[in-house]
Amino acid sequence: MAYKVVIGIEIHCELKTKTKMFSSAPLSFAQTPNSCVNEVDLAHPGTLPCVNKNAIKYAIMACSAFNLEIDTLVKFDRKNYFYTDLPKGYQITQQFHPIGRNGFIDINVDGNSKRINIERLHMEEDTAKQFHFNDETLIDYNRAGTPLVEIVSDPDMTSGVEAVAYISKIQEILLYLGVSDVKMEQGSMRCDINISLMKQDAEKLGTKVEIKNLNSLSNVLKAVEFEISRQSDMLDNAELIVQETRRFDETTKSTVSMRKKEGNVDYKYFPEPNIFPIRLPLDWVNEIVNNLPELPDARRVRYHDVYALEEYDANVLVSNKLLADFYELVMQDCDDGKICANWIISELIAQLSKTNQSIATMKCDSKNFANLINMITKKEISGKQAKQIFAQVVDGENCIELVKSSGMKQISDEGAILQIVIDVLNDNPQSIEDFKNGKDRAIGFLVGQVMKRSKGQANPSMANQLVSAQIKNY
Amino acid sequence: MGENVMLNEEIVLKRISDAYNFAKNVQEELNAMVTFVDYNDQLENMNMHKSGKMFGVPIVLKDNVNTKGIKTTASSKMLENYVPIYDATIVTKLKDAGAIIIGKSSMDELAMGGTNLTAATGSVKNPYDTNRMSGGSSGGSASLVGKGVVSMAIGSDTGDSIRKPAAFCGCVGLKPTYGRISRYGIIPYSSSLDHVGCFTSNVKDAAIALEVLAGRDDLDMTSSYEPVDNYSEFLSGDIKGKKIAILKNVTDNISNVDVLKCFNESIEKLKQQGAIVEEVILNEKLMLAILPTYYLIANCEATANHANLNGICYGNQVESQTSEQIMIKSRTNGFGPLIRKRFVIGSYGLFVENQEKLFKQAQKVRRLIVEEYDKVLKDFDFVCAPASASIAPLLDDKHLDQLSDEYLVAENHMIISNFTGYPSISVPMGFVDKMPVGINFTAHKFDEGNLLNLAYTHELCNDFKAMKAGN
Repeated sequence: MAYKVVIGIEIHCELKTKTKMFSSAPLSFAQTPNSCVNEVDLAHPGTLPCVNKNAIKYAIMACSAFNLEIDTLVKFDRKNYFYTDLPKGYQITQQFHPIGRNGFIDINVDGNSKRINIERLHMEEDTAKQFHFNDETLIDYNRAGTPLVEIVSDPDMTSGVEAVAYISKIQEILLYLGVSDVKMEQGSMRCDINISLMKQDAEKLGTKVEIKNLNSLSNVLKAVEFEISRQSDMLDNAELIVQETRRFDETTKSTVSMRKKEGNVDYKYFPEPNIFPIRLPLDWVNEIVNNLPELPDARRVRYHDVYALEEYDANVLVSNKLLADFYELVMQDCDDGKICANWIISELIAQLSKTNQSIATMKCDSKNFANLINMITKKEISGKQAKQIFAQVVDGENCIELVKSSGMKQISDEGAILQIVIDVLNDNPQSIEDFKNGKDRAIGFLVGQVMKRSKGQANPSMANQLVSAQIKNY
Repeated sequence: MGENVMLNEEIVLKRISDAYNFAKNVQEELNAMVTFVDYNDQLENMNMHKSGKMFGVPIVLKDNVNTKGIKTTASSKMLENYVPIYDATIVTKLKDAGAIIIGKSSMDELAMGGTNLTAATGSVKNPYDTNRMSGGSSGGSASLVGKGVVSMAIGSDTGDSIRKPAAFCGCVGLKPTYGRISRYGIIPYSSSLDHVGCFTSNVKDAAIALEVLAGRDDLDMTSSYEPVDNYSEFLSGDIKGKKIAILKNVTDNISNVDVLKCFNESIEKLKQQGAIVEEVILNEKLMLAILPTYYLIANCEATANHANLNGICYGNQVESQTSEQIMIKSRTNGFGPLIRKRFVIGSYGLFVENQEKLFKQAQKVRRLIVEEYDKVLKDFDFVCAPASASIAPLLDDKHLDQLSDEYLVAENHMIISNFTGYPSISVPMGFVDKMPVGINFTAHKFDEGNLLNLAYTHELCNDFKAMKAGN
């Protein structure tokens, strides 16, 4: 039987501030374990938290981009539980007064727009990272105290595809805001998916299962689809679904039970006494909200309006911010947005993946790339010629030098080409004869001769045009 | 203190070594020190602080004040081997002012108690009678200043933990406004009630100490930006026209006539100095609620504050198979029975099913008490009452009825200043049965200057040294 699928998503995102949420220790990724910590992160007795102003700024930016109502009275609470990755024995979070409430984003699935409501966004601190071995556990406190925002959606999604669209939209927006690296594979963005099934006509929600350990969008899709089929099968067989937390197992491409939820854990939340409520100055908040970086949707529209890009091209560029940023740099020295986009989308991406590079690591700067595009659009070189030197250009070689040294500069001087055309026509009376007898192929042959005689440098379309015009004079 | 111009190095060194030796000599008698600090390192750069307000003054810190590289135990077995990697903000301030730390003093375990009987190193004795308590939780500091070993010692005050032992040990105990002194680096008890303060042998020294200790600290978000006054300049001895309210609820509940006699004599003298004194009555129901309200808030906050002491990062670790078992066993083994009881109470008060009727209710009552107090204080400059209904209890006092009105009101009224955060000071007002008794004054927030002047004026007309000699 086909069931109604209900999906809600909680996303934890590390903010890329310089220092931690409540201490002045630096943030770290892949640093020597336990090197980016101070007495506050380690919860030395007597230490006190100090709120990171930039973390609040980033949270406000996110709230604004997700259309959330911002609570300008910032309050923190303690979430109490004993665990080895939690040095204080409590986590400072915003249980009772999240900084953002009641927002939404619009996702796009199969060309249709759908609104996903966001219940809340709150700030908190990350825990330490644990490494479990057979007989010991190692703890790296570098991550402890890293600022996080937790974004909780309403249960508005109904399929794996929607879940993926939602997560990637959130990811894209946070990336464009510049507030997080949003790397699922590195854990700077972590998604917990709540999923339940119910009969089409049922009024009561089914029992929900939480899926953790999803380190890529493709795993999100696989996990949700697996879970839908697992729960469907169980319901078909009249089995009872238990409320539990499952993790996605990459090797088996399935979800595996981690722990059953027997009643809710009592975290004994209470207001954090060491941080008085902070009244944010309204003009500070407004300044942040009014100066948000351009969001991806706005950029899509601009690419259409300014560069005349089709929706597809705009999408491909915008969904890869580095690529889009490079495109814009190139366009500072280019006129034809469409051709530039084509070369970036089809040729550049392929070349980078072939050589295992990325936009960030490639040596070609935007000016050099722009020169290449300009030579193409001005018909100074042909597309075919451009492709011949493309790999070297991407590797950082100067494209103007390359064209010069390989002597491939295209002849677009009409007079020069005309002379070659007349020479070729004079030397090939048989072809003229063939043409007059209705054999159109003769034109192709003649153009080929022109190209040959120009050592491939004649502008092909110009050659074609001139041959067709001149042949009538014979 | 504060007379650095006259001092040469030799005198200073002698003063420090005298204090250190004195402390060593009375250790067996008072048991007030947990750790004696080798002060030689501090002497090396001493001349850098020659202009400091406390240049060359030997001092003692309560053992919940973190000292980098020096064991800080909070008198708990759990932390008996804990050596901090950082200094509390006040330690830096004191050192910068030229003070020399000669020791870390005993306290009730994790500052939870009013007797100093619960210290891991055993009970602290009263300098006036070693069969009696010092009071707590800052008992070691009180006892050492009361004995005259040092002229200033740091304490912390969550529910009269400076002011009560000060009264019992015959010294000045100052708890300034919440946020006046940074709490960064003080092992906490209850964050919203904890205050840092000091014991001194006279009010002038308290004023100087406060000048050194007070001020905004960016590491403590609850510390205040309010400018720090030059408190010494307030000590004029002039209180003419100042209005003092006597808490009648407290005096009415005191049965010890000698204590009341001392108190009334003090009040008479203040009147002679031109103070206007009136009795006021607070809502008795609220007064009876002070202690339970305090216990709930303090224990709820404490249970979270000490969740870091789990044997993983801190505290003596008891080995076991799982990390959960390590935490359970380490905590069971490391904390005394009273502490464990308080953690259970605190945890119970925070359970989701209890929080409304216990923790949140306690916070509401706290607010009601503060509002009631504010109503009185708005017409007065100060509030005043005896610091305790009696002299320091005997060490084996088992007769204390903790549910009597006398205990609930007269022994706990000073907790109100922990609820309000207002500055409050206890100073000696005389002797009863050869034991010192104290009077407590409280002022408006950040009015430490006038509060100290009132205490100073009281000191001027009560010659404590003469009383002590005649005792």
